[in-house]
Amino acid sequence: MRRIAIYGKGGIGKSTTSSNITDALAEKGLRVMQIGCDPKADSTRLLTGCDKPVTVLDIMRNGEEPTLADIVHEGRNGSLCVECGGPKPGMGCAGRGIIAAFEELERLDAMKEYDPDVIIYDVLGDVVCGGFAMPIRNGYARDVFVVTSGEMMSLYAANNISEAVKGFRQDGYARFGGLIQNSRNVKDENDLVDKAATEMGTEVVYRVPRSPTVQACEGRRTTVISGAPDSEQAEEYRRLAQILYDRSENVSGGMRLGDGGSGCDCD
Amino acid sequence: MTVIYHPRPNPIVAAMYTLRDMDVDVVVTHGPAGCSFMASRPLENAGVRIVTSALKDNDLIFGGAEPLIRTLKEAKKNFNPRTMAVVGTCASTIIGDDIAAAIRRADLGPDCNCFAVDCSGCMADNTQGAIRAIKAGLKAGLIDQAECDRQISLLKAATDLEKKRGMAAKAYLSPAVSPTKMHVCRVIANALKEGKKVAVIMLAKKELAYRFADMFVAVDEARKRLGGKTLFVANMDGSLGLPRIRRYCSNINAELDADGVNIDVMCGGLDEYAVVGEKAKAAVDEFQPDLKIIMGICHAYPDMGKEDILITDQPRQLANYLEQNYLCAVGEVSSHTMVMGATGIVHLETADTLREIVREM
Repeated sequence: MRRIAIYGKGGIGKSTTSSNITDALAEKGLRVMQIGCDPKADSTRLLTGCDKPVTVLDIMRNGEEPTLADIVHEGRNGSLCVECGGPKPGMGCAGRGIIAAFEELERLDAMKEYDPDVIIYDVLGDVVCGGFAMPIRNGYARDVFVVTSGEMMSLYAANNISEAVKGFRQDGYARFGGLIQNSRNVKDENDLVDKAATEMGTEVVYRVPRSPTVQACEGRRTTVISGAPDSEQAEEYRRLAQILYDRSENVSGGMRLGDGGSGCDCD
Repeated sequence: MTVIYHPRPNPIVAAMYTLRDMDVDVVVTHGPAGCSFMASRPLENAGVRIVTSALKDNDLIFGGAEPLIRTLKEAKKNFNPRTMAVVGTCASTIIGDDIAAAIRRADLGPDCNCFAVDCSGCMADNTQGAIRAIKAGLKAGLIDQAECDRQISLLKAATDLEKKRGMAAKAYLSPAVSPTKMHVCRVIANALKEGKKVAVIMLAKKELAYRFADMFVAVDEARKRLGGKTLFVANMDGSLGLPRIRRYCSNINAELDADGVNIDVMCGGLDEYAVVGEKAKAAVDEFQPDLKIIMGICHAYPDMGKEDILITDQPRQLANYLEQNYLCAVGEVSSHTMVMGATGIVHLETADTLREIVREM
């Protein structure tokens, strides 16, 4: 099972990128589960075409125990879509929500039930607290990629995430896989992103060009893969998906890597 | 659903007690210095070392791994424990501290079996904390799968019992002050003097047996002086349960033996109070007693009668019984503090009152 976490600054195109990666891999016949880790619960919108999916925390909020059928929604090309959800803005603790939602998925043995080939974690903006670091801790995700443009704040966020992954590396969890450039046509963008990658001790694994097709498909609540399958942009996402697939490690285990689900590769 | 708003037992403390029962040497509470303080002191009296990572506001903001690692290293240096467990608290759970990773980072060496118990105060039932501790104990190799499964099913039965007939069945119970023990002891003494049959049934929870067992001794003494017939039923089978709980049984049984007191029916282990009521009842029914004395978790006995003498250690449980018109209920409050760390039978006020009455008869 490949466990890939996609991080990046808010609004940089993580969910669009994640959803197209998921759809491209699913299109090839792989079983892919995308887990949205953002209280806004809009990660899988393009895969399901649904703006308000039932989230794990929607059900837990009422003190009920969800079943897998309640929270795992079918997306394009048979992809499996889960949204963690979270509290209303300004209330409670969204980070704790992510932790609780993961624990619930584990309790329900979601990975044994669906046995995906790939899990894609799409995680909110920045690693603001322990909860949002969850996918890169405790052995949930193995390979972490960051979506960034050449914009300063986006690169800054990418650097923070790479630092967080390094911080947890000694515990035997995730490793940093590299940057995905989501081009915004900033001046000297390739150079800026390359330079930042070098400073982080990593590399740019793929550059997704800017294309109006993406917005057009988003307007129709679909991925580019399914909405404009023959477009050049769809090919771009297919190539990106293949690169992430090839670069990520196939690790055994349940929701967490390691045979006993210990979440650690250091034993 | 009943909303219960009187203070309830706590999953963190339940985990700590369960670790004690598995003979863990040191328990670290990973939380604020005062978390579970009141429960820690009696546990220390019982021979368990309790230390705290003493989280402060800054640790909640910046993460609690460092103070935990420091605490683990200190505890290893000072106490050199064979087994050490870290219990999560509300604070560490909310910020998502990774206790297992901190334990690995502390690098305590192969002689110290140190493991994490993932728990917090916000789990639904206190027994959930005990179940987490049991599962962690299994993973750490302290108990086997069969004992783990057995404990979990007993803990679930205990929770069910409390919800059906115990303190968790009421929204609010005000702790009751016990009536004096004179009345119930006169009833017992008179019954024996009239040659009647008296059954004494103990369904005790773990260490509380050290105190309730004194009643067997006192009733036996009374029977020898006054006459009558007795049947003693107790859940003190020393071949069942976690290591420490078995030792309780062997200590108490040896002392009763030395006093010439015989338990007629061993209806189960000290952790089985919630599931052995029927078995106790079958033995009692066969005896056809004129008077029943039920001690410990009295409501674990399937049909408590309004005339039965009930002896509980819990003031809220006493309130629960008195409210339901069990008017021969008395409370041995503060018993728990008295039995923590005990290795022999501790005098019971009801038993001492009976002794006094018998002497004067």
